[in-house]
Amino acid sequence: MPVNDTIYAYAVGRIRALETRLLDRSRFERMIDSSSAEDALKVLAETDYSGAVSELSDFHNFESVLTAELKNSFDTLIRICPRPELIKILILRYDVHNLKVLFKAKYLGIKSDLFIPIGSLDLEKLAYSAAEDDYRDLPVKLRRAAEKISEDFLMNRDPQAIDLILDRVLYEQLIAVARENGSAFLEGMFIRQIDLTNLRSLIRIKRMGLDREFIKKVLLPQGTLPIDRLTANLDEPLESLVSSLMMSDYADLIEEGVREWLEKGTASRLEKLSDDYITAYLKQGKWMPFGFEPLVGYLWAKEIEIKNIRLVLVGKINRLPAEAIRERIRDVYI
Amino acid sequence: MEIRVNPTRMELNLLKKRLKMAERGHKLLKDKRDELIRQFLILVRKNKELREHVEKELSAAFARFLLARAVMSAENLEEALMYPTKKLSLEINKQNIMSVYAPKFSWVEEESGRGENSSIYPYGFVDTSAELDISIETLSGILPRLMELAEVEKAVQLLAEEIEKTRRRVNALEYILIPKLGDTIKYITMKLDENERGALTRLMKIKDIVRAKM
Repeated sequence: MPVNDTIYAYAVGRIRALETRLLDRSRFERMIDSSSAEDALKVLAETDYSGAVSELSDFHNFESVLTAELKNSFDTLIRICPRPELIKILILRYDVHNLKVLFKAKYLGIKSDLFIPIGSLDLEKLAYSAAEDDYRDLPVKLRRAAEKISEDFLMNRDPQAIDLILDRVLYEQLIAVARENGSAFLEGMFIRQIDLTNLRSLIRIKRMGLDREFIKKVLLPQGTLPIDRLTANLDEPLESLVSSLMMSDYADLIEEGVREWLEKGTASRLEKLSDDYITAYLKQGKWMPFGFEPLVGYLWAKEIEIKNIRLVLVGKINRLPAEAIRERIRDVYI
Repeated sequence: MEIRVNPTRMELNLLKKRLKMAERGHKLLKDKRDELIRQFLILVRKNKELREHVEKELSAAFARFLLARAVMSAENLEEALMYPTKKLSLEINKQNIMSVYAPKFSWVEEESGRGENSSIYPYGFVDTSAELDISIETLSGILPRLMELAEVEKAVQLLAEEIEKTRRRVNALEYILIPKLGDTIKYITMKLDENERGALTRLMKIKDIVRAKM
């Protein structure tokens, strides 16, 4: 359904203002070059995070600052977006995380506090449905997934299946909702994420030495790279995966990522490049005067920023060499 | 330094028996100590080798884990590892090294999943980092070694304790009990000899007196 983009005028205006407060590359450089985690936090305290940072009594608990900031961003966007249901699509990922925690806690018979407080589904209601095995209140696809998990777990007791089923249904749902709302931009982002996740999964499964049967359960079907073609690469050396993707959009990314993987045995490069790829895609929306795109871009930028802060702080607390941190820092949106 | 005893022939015999026993005990304990030290050295070498190996692997695994931690949020990471696929049940038996009872571990890995494809990785692939795979794999591979290390290290500790005890006993026998017994025996012998000489002199004296009177 065509929507007049000008309804976003106010929201985009707000976003433009918020964007300027995102941390830029030089700020991250300063954090990387600081001599300790405390110093890095001081740099962080000069930014939007100052309030939360000053309340932090022990810098090892920095995660709470990050979660609070992310929640804050989502709340702001829901408030300013004329169609909040679109933002709710992006929140789905956190709902699925909460569901995963819920199921695992349920089968382990424990109480867990690993929930991320961003999900749109009410945690108490979720806990109730899990306890009663009654998932009526969940969105249709999640409900089916939940029922499938209950059934599967009784049979196999395989915790990995919980994640696999939910991850799969998450992307099904994301694509479906993006289409429903006629947002080709969102759909494009999810499809790219699916492709990149599939590529990473393929490489990881290859290393684990698992079989085709298994990879079929893992790869997400909605990507542009056909699953058959990906699966065919399971028995081939990784170089052939690179050459088979020569003509795709992912050629450079996969070539560099795989090279690093083969040379240094680390997927960090590939993971960084994947995130950068999405960032580059979303940057298209940066110059749109009206529309939903800048909002998605901003949220993604916030997620990446938080990822980067976490990377720097974890690195600083554990005295990782600056170089190791620098090469993993994701490109920033601004 | 002698033991306070009555200088009688009976005591002398008793002491001689004790001395013999102490010497025999000393020799046996010395042999035990030597063998314990031999075993100890073997174990210590093994321990060193194992520890170095395990520490190297562990630090590699932790470095990987750190990287995984750096790119995943705490909630994501913990959710991924919340429900392990494998369960380990450990059974502790005794093994006898020179009558020192050291633990012997045996363990069974139970798969909690019954799926044919259940792996050591209890998480999905979307929100997790490949670094996590590698650290989990290293940790899972290192587990048998880690158990072996625990076993050997405990055995080394127990052996060291036992060596210490045996060494004390050997020293006590060698430097205290045996010299003391020897001294006492010497004392009694001398006392008895003295008594004998005294008796002899007395007899001679009496004989002289008797002869003089005749």
